[in-house]
Amino acid sequence: MSDELQLVDAAKSGSVDAFTELVHGYRERLLRFLLTRCTNHADAEDALQDTLINAYRYIGSYDPRWRFSTWLYRIAIRNAGRLRPQNLTELGDPEDDGADPLAHCIADSERDNLWRSAKRILSDEVFAAMWLRYVEDMSVRDIADVLERSSSWTKVNLLRGRRALEAEMNQTAGNAGSEAYG
Amino acid sequence: MPEVKLMDKFTKKLREDAAMIDAEISAQLDSRVRASLTAIEPEGARQRKPARRPVSFWLASSLTGVAAAFAVIAVLNVIDSNEPAAVPRTVAANPAQPLEIPALDLDVEAAMLTGPLARELEDLQADLKKAEEVVRGDVRIDF
Repeated sequence: MSDELQLVDAAKSGSVDAFTELVHGYRERLLRFLLTRCTNHADAEDALQDTLINAYRYIGSYDPRWRFSTWLYRIAIRNAGRLRPQNLTELGDPEDDGADPLAHCIADSERDNLWRSAKRILSDEVFAAMWLRYVEDMSVRDIADVLERSSSWTKVNLLRGRRALEAEMNQTAGNAGSEAYG
Repeated sequence: MPEVKLMDKFTKKLREDAAMIDAEISAQLDSRVRASLTAIEPEGARQRKPARRPVSFWLASSLTGVAAAFAVIAVLNVIDSNEPAAVPRTVAANPAQPLEIPALDLDVEAAMLTGPLARELEDLQADLKKAEEVVRGDVRIDF
């Protein structure tokens, strides 16, 4: 953590090398998250680039009391929101892979990827909350900060999201079982 | 991915599925990001670097400071010489004349306070006497 703070201080002074080293471990994680929120791979890459540029430009405003990942995700979500068309959720058939950029990033053997189901059944914010909780292992408070929501909203929606996804997971498992025996 | 000691089936499935999403940073994207970062500078970084000032700036500011100090000293001296001697505001205590505290005449004050009540009492007693005389007169008439 102290190394991270040293890199932050160096980046604040204008060191691109320090900033690159600082964000190196976050780039793939951010891109993976952005792929779930953007319409295609190119948009996700653009959003990642914008996120890193904004993070470097405004690193002077970074408060070390926050986790660096929390701060980065907040910027990433704002950038993804700018690139994402408002009517994306209404686009096309949810079963149609053409409307789902995740389909291009997931191997054919992983068609029952739970994040694809999550994207289909959860709202953008709840999806983001679930991702930050279960993939990034963020605390409820950090998630609330990233999403600019209250802690109680975050808790309630994490619970609802989990219930919805567990039901989906059980249903998928049931269907697979019936197909196997049927 | 961050490590978690106790992971339930649901969490494990979500993490595994997230890891299945291919998010490799291409060399092209890497170089693009690097080029963008090199072209910009963090906001505030330029202000933090102390600006180097010429020697003449320090000389001029020193001379200005010395001149200002002399001017203040001169003004204070002029004010001190023109000002009349101030009259001392403190009053010296005279031990030969002890402070006299006026004594209150409590009897007079009590009489002033009870005077109206005493007059009222006298009036009531006079009324009572008159009433007695009237009653006595009535009794004599009856018997």
